[in-house]
Amino acid sequence: MAKKINLEIITPSKVFYRGDVELVIVRTLSGDEGFMAGHEWACKLLAVSEMWIQETSAPEYKIAAISGGFIDVKDSIVIYTDAAEWAEDIDMEKALSEKASAEDWLTKHPDDDPMNIERAKIAIQKAITRMNVSQGGARRKR
Amino acid sequence: MPESMQDIKRRMKSVDSIEHVTNAMKLVSAAKLRRAKATFEKTNEFSHYIINSIAEVFNNASEVPEKYLEGNREIKKTCYIIVSSSRGFCGSFNMNIIREAEAMMTEDEGDSTIIAVGTKAKDYFQKRGFEILKEYSEPPEDISFLESQKMSRPIIDMYNSGEIDRIVLIYTAFISTLEQAVQTVTLLPFSIERDPEVMKYDKPVEYEPSEEEVFNYLVPKYVETSIYAAVVESATCEHAARRMAMENATDNAREMLGDLSLTYNRARQAAITNEILEVVTGAEAQK
Repeated sequence: MAKKINLEIITPSKVFYRGDVELVIVRTLSGDEGFMAGHEWACKLLAVSEMWIQETSAPEYKIAAISGGFIDVKDSIVIYTDAAEWAEDIDMEKALSEKASAEDWLTKHPDDDPMNIERAKIAIQKAITRMNVSQGGARRKR
Repeated sequence: MPESMQDIKRRMKSVDSIEHVTNAMKLVSAAKLRRAKATFEKTNEFSHYIINSIAEVFNNASEVPEKYLEGNREIKKTCYIIVSSSRGFCGSFNMNIIREAEAMMTEDEGDSTIIAVGTKAKDYFQKRGFEILKEYSEPPEDISFLESQKMSRPIIDMYNSGEIDRIVLIYTAFISTLEQAVQTVTLLPFSIERDPEVMKYDKPVEYEPSEEEVFNYLVPKYVETSIYAAVVESATCEHAARRMAMENATDNAREMLGDLSLTYNRARQAAITNEILEVVTGAEAQK
């Protein structure tokens, strides 16, 4: 059995998750990365992505969608994110319609302010992530 | 007879209905306070973490973007974010905030501009000719983190572009249900002390993509979080203040009702005594 480490996931409105885990996989800005107990201390920014948590001696991963943020790895791991959602709580219809409206906006405003274009792209990315997560994660789908 | 019985009766009726209203409002505020307090406690935890992290990263970073640090630029224009409420009936809650903010702005020698959350502060300062940059009039308890993010982005952009040189947040801090205090926080530039002893890491920390990037992410996050936390805290205080004000109003109404019914009974007794007197005198005269 792998050593366990305390993980806290904090969003502005609540503490999303708190518990002992063996492994947590998140996507940093330079790619997916797994963190286990005894990891080198780190402070990394996260992309809009899925997050996989393996709890102590649990056979299955817990999957959640997170919308960016940053991870702080010390003797315990803390993840700060603006929003997080468990796979089972995701509203597929809403994600689909959000993606559609963002795409729609992009096709209609191709020359808008780069900030807004970036925002729309992030919105699409968020919607795709949530859809992937609710179907058990992109990795499992492959 | 000082007042006619009918007048007293009428006053009693109106005081009684006021008492009903304030009592109901007190109950509503108490319920809202409970809910706001729960959110406040959770948010408090988050902002605490973020602020601590920033202090940690700062203390250990070798390359901190200078523009966020105190003493790197002359402070010409200050942006005051004033968190008040949009509804009245909460005692001296809004007045306390406004008084403090006005005192600060008069003392400040540079220019000042206001971002008002809640209509009460906006109305007051607009009337007195202060420059209002932006206003948010929805009740504070309805402001979500996303909205406070939208609120803070332009402020950070303005800071980065040099339009404003300082960001000050004025809000009401929650001490207990019975006590609230106005608090002012300078969000930017930072004045975190470089303290080599307290939080020095004994292990190397890996920053990704780079220390500067992490810092550039954390600073706006810090501003957003602080503003959100202030709005939530202020909403909690507003409910607490309103509950207190309504409780006092209810108590006063009850006391007044007691006084009035005493006067009313006296007047009634006087009237009866008068009538008996008249009857007796009439009977005497008949003899």
